[in-house]
Amino acid sequence: MRVSELVNEDASLVSRRCWSDAGVYELEKRGIFRRAWLFLGHESQIRNPGDFVQAYMCETPVILARGMDGGLHASVNSCTHRGLPVCRADHGNTKRFICPYHNWSYSVEGNLVTIPQESAVANKPDKAVLGLKQVPRVASWRGMVFGCFDENVESLEDYLGDMRFYLDAFFERFPGGIEFLGAPHRWVINANWKLPVENQLGDVNHGAFLHSAIIPREAQDLIEELGFSAVTRAGHGATFRLMPQGAPVDEVAWGMEGMGGMFGGAEVQEYLREIQSHAAERVGDIRARMKGLTYGIYPNLSFLWSNTSFKVSHPRGPGKVEYWSWAVVPADAPDSIKRVLRTNYSSFFGPAGILEQEDSEVWVQQFQGSNIDFADDRPYYYGLGLGEEAPHPELPGLVSVTANEFYARHFFRRWRDELQAVEGQS
Amino acid sequence: MNGPSLEATPQQQRALERFYYYEARLLDNRQYQQWLALVSPEIRYLMPSRVNVMVDNRARGKEEMISVDRELEGPDSLGCPIREEGYIHLMVRAERAFKINSWSENPPARTRRIVGNVELVGQRGEELSVLSNFHLYYARPGGESCVYSGQRRDVLSPAEQGYTIEKREVIMDYANIEVPTLGLLF
Repeated sequence: MRVSELVNEDASLVSRRCWSDAGVYELEKRGIFRRAWLFLGHESQIRNPGDFVQAYMCETPVILARGMDGGLHASVNSCTHRGLPVCRADHGNTKRFICPYHNWSYSVEGNLVTIPQESAVANKPDKAVLGLKQVPRVASWRGMVFGCFDENVESLEDYLGDMRFYLDAFFERFPGGIEFLGAPHRWVINANWKLPVENQLGDVNHGAFLHSAIIPREAQDLIEELGFSAVTRAGHGATFRLMPQGAPVDEVAWGMEGMGGMFGGAEVQEYLREIQSHAAERVGDIRARMKGLTYGIYPNLSFLWSNTSFKVSHPRGPGKVEYWSWAVVPADAPDSIKRVLRTNYSSFFGPAGILEQEDSEVWVQQFQGSNIDFADDRPYYYGLGLGEEAPHPELPGLVSVTANEFYARHFFRRWRDELQAVEGQS
Repeated sequence: MNGPSLEATPQQQRALERFYYYEARLLDNRQYQQWLALVSPEIRYLMPSRVNVMVDNRARGKEEMISVDRELEGPDSLGCPIREEGYIHLMVRAERAFKINSWSENPPARTRRIVGNVELVGQRGEELSVLSNFHLYYARPGGESCVYSGQRRDVLSPAEQGYTIEKREVIMDYANIEVPTLGLLF
């Protein structure tokens, strides 16, 4: 099977095999995950020297740590001696990572410090070259830390490009930026990694249907009436509502329509209004009026602004994903308010979320449908709104109505091109 | 909770078990509206998240080193509990089961739960602190079957139908979450 047979020229047709074929998955590892900037964690999780969190780059376990030098270090969590993970905790603070097998120990930056057995042998190994495999490129933007296995990758800023305009509409709203709360919720779903990504990249169109028991039609009508979908570069996308100029603060303010705004009481509401009252001076008029819905950063990072959660879709083969999600709150909010605001994530999303329990089920069923026989002459139709996106005078990227599936077509064009680039290479 | 449970009278113990069996039957029979009547309008329904924590060297050799509670990111933490719910959440969860467009409930899962190890561990005025364990078998058409295992830490107050659930904290026994949803009524 050739990659060119999987996705047609304009990506309006996408093969079932894109989702289910083991060979395609191997190409994804080499063509995408080996070469792209991948999200590792947020600096709020590793403030002090010795702090660390676990991460994954595709199926490769990585430790993201704050070194004793204050810098960011990403080491592959696999001992150079026999390959065991040297760190088992989700997060913490340490001076050393120690392999349980023979107690080789590593500094928090990943350097090999001790080999207990070396005193008994004559030829001493060169410890300087036996540290944990380092992720060669690590960079941070607005506290979001990414790593890349390709030394020659473009800068993180260039990689994110105009997506920064949309991300800043959220990040820069808060004087102290944002903070990730606790260890991620880690959830194994029998689905392909790309469907959670596609769902969060721009698919607000399923809301009124899959979630019709929870989301009333009128709410969805309002989303569609004020909604935009933007693609700043293939694979990066944002959907959001642009509230009319002069709309009341309670209708525009982030969080007011969530659990905090509805049930959090006067203190939380006042806090949310206060943030909105400075939004225009912080992020400018047009972004002050933005109420984000879904965001996607290629290849597998998602941000659900409406329920303030970051998510990463970690592949575990064609038919399995380990989905990680975190609640995100303004860093300088009082603790009592952070505790209220996080429920806007956990009530609806995450492993117990009232909405996400419906999403995860359809992701599983989509994989089952992608793995059937005798239907390869019926690729999936991705043609809704074909060619209807266009530049916008005030918003970066190509922009269209939310029903236009161009966000997914652009994703699959980039996906196809990146797989083709490594096809035939070993 | 340390040490044995309080010395409940046989009648008290029987009343608690009778209540929990009734509750389990309502939930397995999908009589969620009747189940809601067992719940206080002020209920706190909590599920901490469960984290792989670092060993605290100072606690080496002591039971606190591997205590379950060290693994929990609960409501007072600045982590993110899986569930921090009130009556309105439970009402939405209960009601969606009766909507034909609740796709993750349609067709509904077949469940069977066994509740045991019922221990009265505290009493303050009329309020009782009660522990119980559960195993819940879950089979959903189109999906894989699974077993949920956990502990419930309840606060109950006396009521006509036995008790009212004032607070429930569900401690799930998961490492990675490999079940379709943790949003069930446990």
